[in-house]
Amino acid sequence: MRRALTGHGDTVALVVRTLLALIGAAIVGSIFLAIDGVDVGYAMQEILDQAFGSPFAIKNSLIEAVPITMVAFGVTVAFRAGIFNLGGEGQIYAGALASVLVILGLSGIPGPILIVLGLLAGMVGGGIWGGIAGALRARLGLSEIITTIMLNFIAFWIVSYLVRGPIQDPDGAGYPYTKEIPARADLPVIGDSIPLGAILLVVAAILVWILLERTRIGISIKSLGSGEATGRFAGLRVERTGFAVLLIAGVFGGLAGAASLMGNEGRLSDFFSPGWGFIGVMTALIGRGTAIGTLVAGLLIGFLSNGITGAQSAAGIPTSTAQILIGVFVLFLIVINTDIVAGALRRAASSLKGVRG
Amino acid sequence: MSDFLDILGSTALYATAVRLALPILFCALGEVYAERAGLVNVGLEGMMLCGAFAGVIGSHYSGSPWIGALIGMIAAIGVAAIQAGVSINLAGDQIVVGIALNLAVLGITSFLARAIWEGGDVPKVDGFSDFAMPLLSDIPVLGPILFKQGALLYVALVVAVASWWILTRTSWGLRLRSCGEDPRAADSLGISVFAYRWKSMIICGALAGLGGVFLSLGQLFTFSDNMSGGRGYIALAVVIIARWSPLRALWAALIFGVCEALALRVQVTDINVPAELMLALPYAVTLIVYAGVIGKSRPPKALGREYSRG
Repeated sequence: MRRALTGHGDTVALVVRTLLALIGAAIVGSIFLAIDGVDVGYAMQEILDQAFGSPFAIKNSLIEAVPITMVAFGVTVAFRAGIFNLGGEGQIYAGALASVLVILGLSGIPGPILIVLGLLAGMVGGGIWGGIAGALRARLGLSEIITTIMLNFIAFWIVSYLVRGPIQDPDGAGYPYTKEIPARADLPVIGDSIPLGAILLVVAAILVWILLERTRIGISIKSLGSGEATGRFAGLRVERTGFAVLLIAGVFGGLAGAASLMGNEGRLSDFFSPGWGFIGVMTALIGRGTAIGTLVAGLLIGFLSNGITGAQSAAGIPTSTAQILIGVFVLFLIVINTDIVAGALRRAASSLKGVRG
Repeated sequence: MSDFLDILGSTALYATAVRLALPILFCALGEVYAERAGLVNVGLEGMMLCGAFAGVIGSHYSGSPWIGALIGMIAAIGVAAIQAGVSINLAGDQIVVGIALNLAVLGITSFLARAIWEGGDVPKVDGFSDFAMPLLSDIPVLGPILFKQGALLYVALVVAVASWWILTRTSWGLRLRSCGEDPRAADSLGISVFAYRWKSMIICGALAGLGGVFLSLGQLFTFSDNMSGGRGYIALAVVIIARWSPLRALWAALIFGVCEALALRVQVTDINVPAELMLALPYAVTLIVYAGVIGKSRPPKALGREYSRG
């Protein structure tokens, strides 16, 4: 696994350090808001209220968490192999495109089947996009850090072309989006506040855990992550594993796109994703490369983002506050988990105990 | 089709291409220093964006684009210092730090733009205007392409040649490169790996900042959210394509300038190629050229690896 994800000490220590980093980020965020003349106490109250305050708020927060967490699972699987999937954004667009084409192309199919087909199409679309980066890595040795980012832009511009041309909504007054998908293809909401996408997240988390901990490919992924040379020596097919990893990552990215299309957006546009791909990378980092960690981190980021978006008008908070908070949170998290800082913290904690005891 | 050839043969295309290549070139030149010292600096994108923003602030309040450029460079060096501190001294993962920095800078610049100007409407500021070099600008073809540009073009050319000389012909450059090839051996020879890596990152920040400044003060004379738009990442690819050489970075950056210029030109003609697909061109060409040169290039041996003594 990347050194960035290896932690010191037990889970408790890891959670404590994560909370410390979160508090640090909240302080930095508050300073920015205070400079902007925002009443920070009121703003925080408002963010929490918009995130958790009502069943409606919770539903919206979960809907926000779905694409972020789903794409983050793909990043997490790749991280475990020491591979950076920075291509979430492109995989989301590729997945949503495949999904919208299938849903709009098939008429007269009952809702549940249409939903399943839409999700599958998204997985295929994203898988292809991730697979391209995987093939370029496996066949030619191209760094996925460069290729995935280039593929993001290519996917975006292809979608941008399509939604302004061939698949533009003819009744859309020229807006760059497709027709709306039929209501029977919408992901249902269970009760007042549980969108189906949130259930999919739990299922995905379990699948990621099984993939990593209980399958052969999981063993290959982790042994690739512990070092390419060692893996090769132990008979690991490094190229094939690398390809598979980016393909799987793409499947999750594509699913994120499809789930967002069918769970919330309703149509594909060229302003479909507000940067979920990179937020997903941050989420996977916060989740420390585990399925459950990524799920918890994704929910946290989803509630935070939705809270900030909701509080935008009431408390006068710009949406860029979310980017600042998440970016600074992850920076602090990296710093606090380095050998040097984590070691110093541990010594400080044990000397405190020594004083008490 | 003949329209298309007309565009490809026009001097105006290449004049635009040079202009569009410059921000990427500055970033790539900076990145060459960092990578030669063993640091992968994904934070390039954030440093560029920060430079673009701070440059506009500097020019707005001072009325001088040169002071703007200075402020832009200093601000980007600030971002570089965070990247350096975390990745060099604390041995944090270089790539992860860069990605987080990029997001934080994206948030901070658009936040501050809104905090300073209502609704984020950044006004036009004084930028670098083009000037025609006497005599030289009258040369056919080359004149309009190279000698009717802003002053930063000449700065870029001087930096490229000087960087080549510094990195390959001076003992300072040799020591810097040794930190990227075999830091432990360098350390045992008494070379301070930390100090050289820090210096390389500061230079990288300054140049990336200047690239951002050119974007805001040399092209659009204002700032808009996320205006670097992935050029920092393209610069990362340019460095690989240029095989870590400042001189080869000149033409590698130009390839992308030409692609971007082509995308812009085609939009204003009645050629029947969708503008959006043309805008994907620079990224597709990056992939293709990258695939073409891979194998011919060998990165610095210790690239991307944290170094700790002992």
